Amino acid sequence: MRFKTLPVALFGALLAVAGCSSSAGNTPAQESGTLTVWLMNGSAPQSVVDGVNADFNAKHPNVKVDVQIQQWSDVTTKLDTAYAGSTPPDVVELGNTLVAKYAAAGALEDISGKKGSFEGSASWLQSLTESCTFGGKLYCVPYYAGSRAVIYRKDMFTAAGITNTPASTDELLTDGQKLMTANASDSNFSALYFPGKYWYAAAPFVWDFGGDIATQSGGQWKGSLDSSQAQQGLTSLKGIVDKLSRADKTGDELKQDQAFAQGHIAMIVANGWEVGVITDPKAGDPSLKDKLGVFPIPSHTAGKTAPVFLGGSDLGISAKSKMQGLAQEWVKLLAGVKFQTQMATVGQVIPNNTTLLDLNANNPLLGTFAAAAKNSRFVPNSPNWANVESANVLQDMLVSIFTGKQTIPAATSAASSQISTILNAKS
Amino acid sequence: MNDASAAAAAGHGRLALPTLFRPWAWRLSAGAAPYVLLAPAMLVLAGVLLYPLASLLALSFQHYGLRQLIAHSGEWVGLDNYTTVLRDGFFWKVVLRSTAFAAVNVALTMVVGTLMALLLERVHRPVRVLLTAGLVLVWATPVVVAVDLWQWMFDFEFGVMNWLLTHLGIGNYIHHNWFANPLEGFAVITVVVVWGALPFVVITLSAGLSQVPRDLIEAAEVDGANPLHVFWFVVAPILRPVFVILATLSTIWDFKVFDQVWIMLNQRPAADYFLLGIYSFSESFRVTQYGLGAALAVILVLLLAIATSGYVRHYLGRLEGEGA
Repeated sequence: MRFKTLPVALFGALLAVAGCSSSAGNTPAQESGTLTVWLMNGSAPQSVVDGVNADFNAKHPNVKVDVQIQQWSDVTTKLDTAYAGSTPPDVVELGNTLVAKYAAAGALEDISGKKGSFEGSASWLQSLTESCTFGGKLYCVPYYAGSRAVIYRKDMFTAAGITNTPASTDELLTDGQKLMTANASDSNFSALYFPGKYWYAAAPFVWDFGGDIATQSGGQWKGSLDSSQAQQGLTSLKGIVDKLSRADKTGDELKQDQAFAQGHIAMIVANGWEVGVITDPKAGDPSLKDKLGVFPIPSHTAGKTAPVFLGGSDLGISAKSKMQGLAQEWVKLLAGVKFQTQMATVGQVIPNNTTLLDLNANNPLLGTFAAAAKNSRFVPNSPNWANVESANVLQDMLVSIFTGKQTIPAATSAASSQISTILNAKS
Repeated sequence: MNDASAAAAAGHGRLALPTLFRPWAWRLSAGAAPYVLLAPAMLVLAGVLLYPLASLLALSFQHYGLRQLIAHSGEWVGLDNYTTVLRDGFFWKVVLRSTAFAAVNVALTMVVGTLMALLLERVHRPVRVLLTAGLVLVWATPVVVAVDLWQWMFDFEFGVMNWLLTHLGIGNYIHHNWFANPLEGFAVITVVVVWGALPFVVITLSAGLSQVPRDLIEAAEVDGANPLHVFWFVVAPILRPVFVILATLSTIWDFKVFDQVWIMLNQRPAADYFLLGIYSFSESFRVTQYGLGAALAVILVLLLAIATSGYVRHYLGRLEGEGA
C-alpha cells in the first residue's frame, strides 16, 4: 500500500527543500536548520530534555531542536512511514527489541567507527550494547534500561496481616488470597492487577520454569512456548491471575499506574519509573508515596527470584539524516554521563552505564529494580522479532489462556508455530 | 483515461474562437463536448484513485518489506503474494467473517432504516423535527469521536453499559468484558456501525417516501389493502431504485469497515476481530509485508466488485431502460 506513504514522502520532500540551507556553514555558530528527535512517551523527564537542548544550543545556537514524543502503541507504523520518506527524524529512540528490525533494513546509520567518541562507551550496559549490535556492527547508542518488579501497597499488606513480602510463587498466591479476603467487600479489588495482554510480566513465569520464547539452531528459529516448562510457567501464572486479578483479561498495561493510584489494587508488576507515575500529582496520587514498597518477582523455587525481561531503549541516528554530525552530538549529550546521571535520579531508570548503577542503590524502591535487572533475559535477537510484537502473537495467546477461550496446550502450540513462521520469514 | 485526456486536449483546440466560423468544427466539438466537460473530474479521479490503485496492483506483485520500503525498490515475485494469501486458511476465515459481518450489518441497516423512515413519515411535525435533528447530529459526529464514545460506554471498568445493566437488575455486569467473546464484541461493533449508517439511509428513504403518490396509496386502500400490503405492493416497488442504491453503498461500506474495529479495540485487535481491511492493514503496517498487504487489498477490491456487481448491473440496466 505504497500510496499511503506517498503524502508523507511528499511532505518530507517539501521539508527537504525548505531545509536545504541547513548545516551549510562550517563553524557551529553558522549551522542552522532543525534537528528532529523522536523520543518515546515516558522516557526522559522534560527537565532532562530541556537540559540536553540547552547544552546543545549553547554550542549550536542556530540549530533548532524539535523533540517529538511518540506513543509506544503505534510507533512501528510511524517509524516505517517516516523511514520510507526522504527525511525521517534525525534521532530516534528505539525500544531495544525493535533495533534489529531497523538495523537490518538499513534504516540506521552504522556508527561502529565512532563508538569511542561517545562518553562512557567502554562501560555501556552489556545487554543494551548487544541490542544495538547487528551483524557485528553498532547501529545505536544505549540509552537506558528498565526491569520489572512488583510494586505493592505496604499498608494493605499490613492490614491483611502479611509481614513479609512473598518469597515464592506459592507465597505470592497465598498472600494474594489473604488480601482478597481482607478486601472482600470491595468488588473492584485486585490483589495483583494483571491485564491479560501484559506479556512482559508473564515472560518471567515462563523463564522461571526453564522455558523460552524461541530457540535457534542452524539458523532456523523454533517457537518454544509449547514446551512443557513454558506451559508449567503459564499454568502457574493463570492460577494466580484467576484468583487475584480483576483486571481486564483482554486489556493492556498502559493504564495500570492510574488504576493502581485509585486504591483498589494491592500489587502490580511494573517498571521502576512507574513509581513516579503512581505518585504523580496529576496522573496519580502523591499521598501513596510512603505506602509503596517493591519486591522482585519471586521464583517457584522459594528464596530465588524469577528472571525478568530487560527492557530499555537505544538512540539511533537515521541513515537518511542530512545532519549526521549534529545528530551524533545531540545523542552524545543525552547518552553522556551528565544527563545519564539525571536519567537515573530524576527519571528513575537504570542508566546506560555500569559506573552509574549505584546512583539508586540507597533508594529502597529503585534499588530493587536495579537488583532485579541482574537476573534478566532478552527476546530472540532477530530482525523479525518486532513483527512478533506487532502481530500481537504473545498478547493474543495470553488473552486466549486467561479468558479460557483456548487451553494452555492449544494456545501455546498455536503461538509457537506463529512465532516460528514470523521469525523464519524472509524480511 | 488517456483517451479522455486526449479528447479533452483535442476538444480545447477545436473550441478556440476561429473554429466558430467553420461549421464542420461545430459538429466535431459538439461530439467532444461531453469529454471536455468530464475531463477535469477524470483527471482528479486518475490522480487520487487510478494512480494509487495502479501502484497498489504493482506492489501486490512484489516482495516489499521494510528494507525495500526504505530503499524504494521491491523485488518482483509474480503471483507469490496471491498464492500465499489464497493458500492461508486464516485468509478464508477472514473472508467468511467479513462477508457474514457485512451481510448482517447491511440487513440490519436496511430494515431498521426503513422502519425509521416509515415512522418519520407518520409522527407529528415537532417529533419529526426532533428525530431528524438527532439523525443529522449522529451523521455530523466524526467517526473517531463517535467510536471513542461508544468505547467508553462499553468500557470494562468505567462503562455506562455495565453500570446500567447491573442497576436495572438485568444481571451482574460489573467487570463484564464485551470483547472477550468475539460474537458479543462483533454485536457491539454492529451496533456502532449500524448506528452510524442509519442517518443517511433514513433521510434518503424518507425523501423517497415523500415522492410516493398519495392517490396510489389511497386507491390501494380503497381496494382493501392493509398497511403491510400497501408497503409491499405499492411503496416498495416505487422505492426500489433507492433501496438498490442504499444497499449497494451499505455493502461497500460494511465490507471495508475499519475505524470502528480499530479504535474500539485500541488499535490492537486480536486475530478474532480481523476483517479484510484490518487484515490488510496489519500485514502491511504491523508485520511490514507491504506486498502481501497489497495483495490482500486487491482481493478486497475484487470481492467488493463481485459483491456489488449485481446491484450495479441492475442499476445500469434500469438507467438504460429509462433512457430508451
